[in-house]
Amino acid sequence: MRAFGWRAVVVFALLATLPLVPGMSRYYLLLAFDALLFGAIAMSLDLLMGYTGLVSFGHAAFYGLGAYATAILMERGVQSVWACVGFALLVVGLYALVVSYFATARRGIYFALLTLIFAEVVYTFFRYTQTFGGSDGIQGLPDATLFPGLVLDTPVRKYYLVLVYLAGAYAICRVLVASHFGRVLVAIRENEDRARFLGYNVQRYKMGACMISALLTGVAGAIYPMRSAFATPDLMLWTESGEFIISVMIGGLGTLVGPIIGGAFFTILRDKVSSFVDWYFIVIGGVLIVIVLFMPRGLLGLRQLFARRSGRAAA
Amino acid sequence: MILEVENVSKRFGALAALTRVSFAVETGQVFSVIGPNGAGKSTLFNVVSGLFAPNTGRVRFRGEDITGLPPERVNRLGLAKTFQITNIFPEISVVDNVRVAAQSRAPESGRPASLWRRPDVDGSALGLLEAFGLAGRRDAHAKNLSHGEQRYLEICVALATSPTLLLLDEPTAGMTPGETRDATALIRKVVLERGLTLLLIEHDMSVVMGISDRVAVLHFGEKIAEGTPDAIRNDPRVIEAYLGGGDD
Repeated sequence: MRAFGWRAVVVFALLATLPLVPGMSRYYLLLAFDALLFGAIAMSLDLLMGYTGLVSFGHAAFYGLGAYATAILMERGVQSVWACVGFALLVVGLYALVVSYFATARRGIYFALLTLIFAEVVYTFFRYTQTFGGSDGIQGLPDATLFPGLVLDTPVRKYYLVLVYLAGAYAICRVLVASHFGRVLVAIRENEDRARFLGYNVQRYKMGACMISALLTGVAGAIYPMRSAFATPDLMLWTESGEFIISVMIGGLGTLVGPIIGGAFFTILRDKVSSFVDWYFIVIGGVLIVIVLFMPRGLLGLRQLFARRSGRAAA
Repeated sequence: MILEVENVSKRFGALAALTRVSFAVETGQVFSVIGPNGAGKSTLFNVVSGLFAPNTGRVRFRGEDITGLPPERVNRLGLAKTFQITNIFPEISVVDNVRVAAQSRAPESGRPASLWRRPDVDGSALGLLEAFGLAGRRDAHAKNLSHGEQRYLEICVALATSPTLLLLDEPTAGMTPGETRDATALIRKVVLERGLTLLLIEHDMSVVMGISDRVAVLHFGEKIAEGTPDAIRNDPRVIEAYLGGGDD
């Protein structure tokens, strides 16, 4: 609770009241679901990008594999949320172990490229073999069951599922970045070579960060079909990884909260703009350019900017 | 003998950076390696501290063969080094620089508990900062320190890993003569207080003469002399190396 912070408690309490807002429609609740899920993924990626200084271009594979884990179980009649999440952790964990082992052996752009290549292999497998439905993926999934008798069959229940997941993932990330492990990650970001001379096995720490980030993203993937009722190879497309990265950038690197806001902002912006124009990505691109050029610390950086200004005025 | 370097050679392509260099450091000694720029001093440190494996020869630390071990393993055995070009964590605070180094020796380090716990190393971290006059700057970003302060922080970070042997690579590089005098005195005091063995690299002879028990001289990758500071000062080969156009 201490690591969580009272402000976070207030924000999550407010988010919990969202379904009670008058006029809250099914459409807006599901949009909120998507926004929070995207935010959670961006936050998981921030562990790597913002704290460890590693840019993963392959998070879509962790996300998509998690989604397929749920879809494959549900297709076979298993509807338990716990079983699906457990299976996703297993599948994503095994895959992430291989990816992180090889990718963390290289630095910088090579790390990014290795994560991308592994993810493309996974995408190609699901897209071009018919085992799991090929390009159609797995469609028409039933609603998930949280406990016997509690089926997640309404938008409100689905919304609470993702909200609980986000709160849990946020608490994990908060504890992690304040821990011994998290401080070493920052040291690696700042100066990898010096960290080695302080006795840290840098690759092991990077692998740990990759695994945790991948598992959190995999759970988000496992939850997605519980709302969408499908898993398709498109979830693993490299553009999806790019959108995760963009969300982290929009929100502000190394802040956890920033990427949640960035992911939610990106999801809502995409939804709103795409309902008006087909070339929505041009609009999003424009917004992104403005943010990167004028707010290098992202949306959350605005807060720090104002805090500094008022601090200076007071001094 | 805390450190034994035996017949170490290191080549980079056609360049022989070190040729059959041997020396031994006794526990509690201040041992200095001097030589003109490009003599191979930093390469020697990099071999000892694990960054490079030598082409030939062995390095033994407290009797254990550490030749070719990676830096993180060498450091855990009790050997810490500083860098000639300041090598700290620029975007975190001064105290966090020292903390992250100190916590590598905490019992949690490398265990699952390190994922949720943060060991309390504030006592030792602040003690080090105080010893080097940096306590007042504890919350500043490391990159905002002055050059001299960064050189001190560099030493604090190495000391925070509780070494028994400290390797300092030109700790006074870029300092004024006055700063150099103060820094040398301070280093000597801290080394004595902590009962450390010190292996020092310098190209400035005046720095080492006052504090060293023993001095070795490198020239073009070869050891040309070793002895007490007085013997070295009067050694004609050393004078020749320093004055006879050794840098060309």
